[in-house]
Amino acid sequence: MTTDLNQFPELDKTKFEQRGIQLEIGVPVTCAVSIGNNIAAGFGDGTVRIFSSGEKHKTLKAHKGVILCMSKDGDSILTGGDDGYFLKISLNGEINEITNFGSRWVDHVAAYNGNLVCSSGKVVYYWDKNKKEPKSLNHDSTIGGLAFDAKGRRLAVSRYGGVTIWKKDYSNKWKSTKLDWKGSHNKVSFSPDGKYLVTSMQENVLRCWRLKDKLDFAMSGYGSKVKSFAFISDTSYLVTSGAIDAICWPFDGEGPMGRKPICLPYIGNKQVTFIEPFPDEKAIFAGLSDGSVFLSQIENENNTIIIRSFTGSEVSAIAMTHDKSSIFIGDMNGNTLWTSIWDQ
Amino acid sequence: MEETDRQVPVTVLTGFLGAGKTTLLNRILTEQHGKKYAVIVNEFGEQGIDNDLVVDADEEVFEMNNGCICCTVRGDLIRILSGLMKRADKLDAIIVETTGLADPAPVAQTFFVDQDVANKTKLDAIVTVADAVHLSSQIEDHHEAEEQIAFGDVILLNKIDLVKDENIEVVTKRIRKINPFAKIIKTTKCGAPLKEILNLDAFSLKRILEVEPDFLESDHDHEHDDDVTSLSFVSNTPLDMEKFQNWFGKLLQTKGQDIMRTKGILDFKDENDRYVFQGVHMLMDASPMGKWPENKERSSRLVFIGRNLDTMNLKEGFEACKSE
Repeated sequence: MTTDLNQFPELDKTKFEQRGIQLEIGVPVTCAVSIGNNIAAGFGDGTVRIFSSGEKHKTLKAHKGVILCMSKDGDSILTGGDDGYFLKISLNGEINEITNFGSRWVDHVAAYNGNLVCSSGKVVYYWDKNKKEPKSLNHDSTIGGLAFDAKGRRLAVSRYGGVTIWKKDYSNKWKSTKLDWKGSHNKVSFSPDGKYLVTSMQENVLRCWRLKDKLDFAMSGYGSKVKSFAFISDTSYLVTSGAIDAICWPFDGEGPMGRKPICLPYIGNKQVTFIEPFPDEKAIFAGLSDGSVFLSQIENENNTIIIRSFTGSEVSAIAMTHDKSSIFIGDMNGNTLWTSIWDQ
Repeated sequence: MEETDRQVPVTVLTGFLGAGKTTLLNRILTEQHGKKYAVIVNEFGEQGIDNDLVVDADEEVFEMNNGCICCTVRGDLIRILSGLMKRADKLDAIIVETTGLADPAPVAQTFFVDQDVANKTKLDAIVTVADAVHLSSQIEDHHEAEEQIAFGDVILLNKIDLVKDENIEVVTKRIRKINPFAKIIKTTKCGAPLKEILNLDAFSLKRILEVEPDFLESDHDHEHDDDVTSLSFVSNTPLDMEKFQNWFGKLLQTKGQDIMRTKGILDFKDENDRYVFQGVHMLMDASPMGKWPENKERSSRLVFIGRNLDTMNLKEGFEACKSE
């Protein structure tokens, strides 16, 4: 990409790019998660790459097709692919098949404390820790997203027409409650304090439910579909992509109703395509449609630094190691950056 | 590179059960053409096709939550197409099979409505496979058969080896009455060259200028009122842009459910450019497409395909758009 950088001298290599490792893998980066102080990234050709500080990354051939989803499960990752496989992969490269749906894709995966979940089409499969056979949880339409709450007690399943929340009762039977809102719901997440549930919709809008009284409201004003959102760990903000600014909705106190979001602007008027909170801080990494990535303090927009410069391809994954020392960035053309965050 | 250069063309394949869709899909997947095609089939389709590039879909039709009741899209298609775009290998085309009874409109609308789908893929053409033996009776008995003909850019009139020549003519006439601008290809075992079926760019506005629809005044004798039929209009008097926009906008808004497809080339007063448009139900794509060719007479041409067209006062509405 040197020619591009020459055309944009103001976007010269950042110090993070200079000291980090940049790869041009040429295949879309579809997902990335942190496992301890390592990062696992999934790619469109079915490979998983594991980045650890001080050693060369490991490349594992895991799926035959696109890795569609990934989740952390203790010291391992779970992956689902368009080859129909649901896999568990350990840090040292051991790959175990959990199940295989043939020509049906594994669209979403999640885990909590050894309990494993995946969805394929309209069905969610739930493996209780130490059980061989999964429990099937059926839905009327294709599943758009899966999420456990912070304590692993509730599983939210988004779909057309709203969200189904599954929970086991005292006699270990599955019970469900429904949150209805017309339209197609995709990614879903509980707030870390468990009080709210948010989905991103096919329309350019987020839907939020306050769970104690099921009061629901929209968070709108987006120029495009919101593909990436996350809560700051103390539930002070919900940060989202979908606009040319990073949008930060306040969730402290009485919540976001009637309040305006903080909008963090970036140079160049490019869409924010990926958002990742900086762990335990009111700060975010924002990845843009041109490949650039910024780190911003939410309550001080002047405190923004550039982490990665222009690559020409939309940012599709950002993950930070557990010790907050290093960050991984990937985009749809397979350009990756793995770098330490702090000056030595 | 232009955004459009990277868009993967998507062909929608429709047709009644038994017309020969699976035969065609098998040809696309097995013939030595050096191209990479992915095929999205219905999980309850006629018979299984076993191939790595076949994706099972469940034809989930979603209403868009935007207050527009006829704006339905295929939710599963949005999911599958965005998944296919993450593949390491570049696809030359994608073919979406719809089941015999499904209305192809939600599939077509998906390409107008979803931004990600529109950025990375484009609707190439709607290809309808029709059974030359049974089409006439299917049209009488099932409104879906009629609709599939109405939506088609290309109609493969298949199994002609099983029909007498004079009957082929009758069926062709029946098709023409519903859809005057589709290209009809007569086949046995869907044996048409793939280049006449895939990568046609039938939905590009430029293409409408190249393959000008057959603007013959269509017959207007109705057997029953819910027949799908077509009406076309020509005017050599330039149109008033404001009047046209008012009339046409209101028409699609109120009658969009009955109007299945529209295409047109328009000559507006005081405008040097030709305006080209095309629509599926109430979604429309329109744009100026350069100057009128010097050796060609300027005129406005407009085709409607749909139901109950004779109740919409289309002729009067169109006439009223003429500039004095």
